[in-house]
Amino acid sequence: MTGRVEQLEDVIEKSLKVGLGLSTVLLLVGLVLDMPVPLRWGILLLMLTPVVRVAVVTVGLALERDWTFTFVSLFVLAVLGAGIWVAVQR
Amino acid sequence: MPAHHVLIYLLTGGAAGLVGAMLGIGGGVFLVPLLTLGFGVPIRAAVAASLISVIATATASSTVNLDRGLVNMRLAMALEVATSIGGLGGGLAASLLSTQQLFLIFGATLAAMGALMMMRSGRRNVIADTSVQPGRLGGRLQEGDTTYVYRVRRLPLALGASLGAGAVSGLLGLGGGIIKVPVLNTFCGVPIRVAAATSAFMIGVTAAASVFVYFARGDVVLPIAAAVALGALPGSLAGARLGQRVEARALKIFMAVVLLLVGGRMALEAL
Repeated sequence: MTGRVEQLEDVIEKSLKVGLGLSTVLLLVGLVLDMPVPLRWGILLLMLTPVVRVAVVTVGLALERDWTFTFVSLFVLAVLGAGIWVAVQR
Repeated sequence: MPAHHVLIYLLTGGAAGLVGAMLGIGGGVFLVPLLTLGFGVPIRAAVAASLISVIATATASSTVNLDRGLVNMRLAMALEVATSIGGLGGGLAASLLSTQQLFLIFGATLAAMGALMMMRSGRRNVIADTSVQPGRLGGRLQEGDTTYVYRVRRLPLALGASLGAGAVSGLLGLGGGIIKVPVLNTFCGVPIRVAAATSAFMIGVTAAASVFVYFARGDVVLPIAAAVALGALPGSLAGARLGQRVEARALKIFMAVVLLLVGGRMALEAL
C-alpha cells in the first residue's frame, strides 16, 4: 500500500515537473522576445498544471481501487471543471 | 514593459515565492499589497497575477516536498473538496460584504491566529511512540533519524477553515494557506512542516478554482503575471528546501510574526 502511494507521488511529481518546465520555457521566450503568444500559452499551461495534477491523482486512486478518495478527487476535478466552464461561457 | 520593470516584478515574485513556499502559504498575502500599493497595479490585475504566482509556488514547492514525503495526500484531498468550493464561491459571497468589512474580519482573524500560534510555539504535535496508529488521515514524519507519528484531530474544523480559506482566496488572490497552515498546526494536530507542505500542495488547486474566471475576464496582464510567476519559481524551490532545514519552533514563530504583521496591517487599512 505504502509502495503504491509512493509510486503515485512519483507520477504526480513528474507531471508537475513537466508542466512547470514547459511553461517556464514559454514564459522566458515570451518575456525576452516580448511576444504575447508564448506568454499567453505559458500562463495557460501553468494554470492547467494543478488541474492535470488532480486528474492524475484521480486516475491513480481509481487504479488502486480506493473508491472513497477517487470520489473525493473526482469531486475536486468537477469543481475545477465548473470554474473553467464558467470562464469559457464569458 | 521596460526591462527594469520586468526585473522588479521578477524579484517581487521571487521574494513572495521564497517565504510562501517556506511557510506553505503561497505568498499572495505579500504580492497583492506590494503590487497594488507599491507599484500601482490595478487590484484585479494584481489578484490575477497573484493567483498565477500561487500556482507556480504550489507546483514548484510540491516537487520538493513530495520527494521528501512531507505531503499528506489524503488530508490534502479531503480538504481540497472544501477549499475548491470556497474558491469558486468566493466571488459570490464577496458581494455580500464590503471590502472594508472583509479586510477587518480577515485581518483580525489573522492577527488572533498569530498571537495564539506565538503562545503555543513550544508545543509539539508529534508523538515519538511509533507504535501509535496514525489513523486514516494522520501519518508519519521523518526528522533526522527519528520517526514521529501524528494524528489529525478536529477534521470538521479543518474542513470549515479550508472552505473559508478558499473563499478568501478567490476574492483576494491568495492561496489561502495563511488560514490553513495555522489552523492545521494549532488545532488539528498536524506538525508544522507537514501542514506547510500539505497546504502548499493544495493552494495550487484553490487558486486554479478561480483563476480561469479572472483570465476570461481579461484581468491577467500577461507580462506582469509572467514576470511575477517566473520569479516565484526559483524563489519557491529555495523556500521549500530552506523550510526543511529551519527548526519547527522557529518556523512557527516566523509564521506567527507574518500573521500578526499582515493581519494588523489589513485591519488598520479597514479602519
